[in-house]
Amino acid sequence: MLPVAHVGHYLWTLYVIPIAIVVAAIVRNTVAQRRAGREDDSRR
Amino acid sequence: MTLPVAHALASRQDLPIPAWLFAWAASIVLIVSFFALSAAWRKPQFEDEHRRPLGERLSAALLSLPAQALCGAIGVFLLGVAVYAGLRGTEAPDRNFALTFIFVTCWLGFPFFSAIFGDLFRPFNPWRAVGRAAGGAFARIAGQRPAHLAYPERLGRWPAAVGLLAFVWIEVVYGRTSIVSVDIEPHAVAVAALVYSVYTLAMMAVFGVEVWCERGEAFSVYFGMFGRLGIFGARDGRLYRRRPFSAATDWATLPGSAAVVIASIAATSFDGAQDGAFKDAIENVFIWFSDRGLALTTSLRLTDTIFMLATFGAVALVYLLGVRGMRTVPGAPSFKVLRTGFAHTLIPIALAYLVAHYFSFFVFQEQAQFGYLLSDPLGTGHTDLFGTVANEVDYKLLSANAIWYIQVAALVVGHVIGLMLAHDRALVYWPDYRKATASQYWMLAVMVAFTCFGLYLLSVANG
Repeated sequence: MLPVAHVGHYLWTLYVIPIAIVVAAIVRNTVAQRRAGREDDSRR
Repeated sequence: MTLPVAHALASRQDLPIPAWLFAWAASIVLIVSFFALSAAWRKPQFEDEHRRPLGERLSAALLSLPAQALCGAIGVFLLGVAVYAGLRGTEAPDRNFALTFIFVTCWLGFPFFSAIFGDLFRPFNPWRAVGRAAGGAFARIAGQRPAHLAYPERLGRWPAAVGLLAFVWIEVVYGRTSIVSVDIEPHAVAVAALVYSVYTLAMMAVFGVEVWCERGEAFSVYFGMFGRLGIFGARDGRLYRRRPFSAATDWATLPGSAAVVIASIAATSFDGAQDGAFKDAIENVFIWFSDRGLALTTSLRLTDTIFMLATFGAVALVYLLGVRGMRTVPGAPSFKVLRTGFAHTLIPIALAYLVAHYFSFFVFQEQAQFGYLLSDPLGTGHTDLFGTVANEVDYKLLSANAIWYIQVAALVVGHVIGLMLAHDRALVYWPDYRKATASQYWMLAVMVAFTCFGLYLLSVANG
């Protein structure tokens, strides 16, 4: 049986999702930029 | 009145969509605002205040010595009334003038109105007035200005940050007598006010009135911080109008300024979470301490102190992570410069948290302040100075839904202004707007985190 009565305890996860999306997008962007920078350096 | 418990907490709302969806919507608003700023804002706009002097006569009248003396005397008189009411009035917190005046009218009123009009506390600051009067009397008698010690600049505003946390600690930790209620005694508040007055006047004597007000006097620093968002200021004996928020850009140059604004956000967060989001965790730690033989009150105060400091640490960590992220962008200044340089961007967030958590409490309690508390400040039931003793608080003035929408709007607007200030400052450090934008991805994450955290705290508290 699902512990529906305690679902309120996990409501915070719904507030974390937007933060997680933004942080993931920033990390992905930063890694991509660094990789592009390294590739530019190696070409030179 | 059980002071902080009552704040902002109306009955459960009847919202058309779940509360958490507001956090998603607020995050989208921030992301859209961020890209709009990136596209359209390519030169710093707030580094210059764009001062426009007000009329010479108006400036001269408002800044004249008699006007300053009058404002100072009003401040001293009201502090005296609050202390007297605390010492001699009823111990019922909701009927004593002292608590509402200190914790609501001043503590919330000055930030709210200073954020619009500029620093309103400075002319009414009772300790500054007494310090200046004493300094003037000394100069007249001794024939020279009082000598002061040089203020240790490394201390910066740290004494104010500690004072701010101490004030909130008295309100929400010391005054908490059980896990569910807050009944701070007016007598204790009056004694604390007297102790703080002696300490402040001593520090003013040692370091000088203006130096201590700028750096160490917790209330001057705290209210002055919000005043930097406002549109009026004074310099060189002249009042002037300035671009909103522009005076905030050079507020954080003193060490410890970031700690003050972080302490403000943390204090509000902790107060909001104490009986909501942190309730279960606080109960568990409280039981752990009391099971180990500590007295119940000691266990409770120790637990609350730990959670309050942990909240301060968590807020600081989020900000510092954002600053650390900015360091990854080529051409970034040092971590120390960034940490100081972006601290002022948290001021609108601190204000947003204050409005969101306390706005309704302020509206309700001010009815009491200007109603029965004004006419019967001691709460004895025997006086009716202004004929308003029968006035009661109208709790229907704001509906639960209206409070929720004000809370959401405050948080969104505050964080958008924070983003705007951060983007503006980034353009100073990275004149290439593409790099400036890249650096602000991290501040976007900080703003989204504070928005969602704030809305979560409110949704749990209101639910």
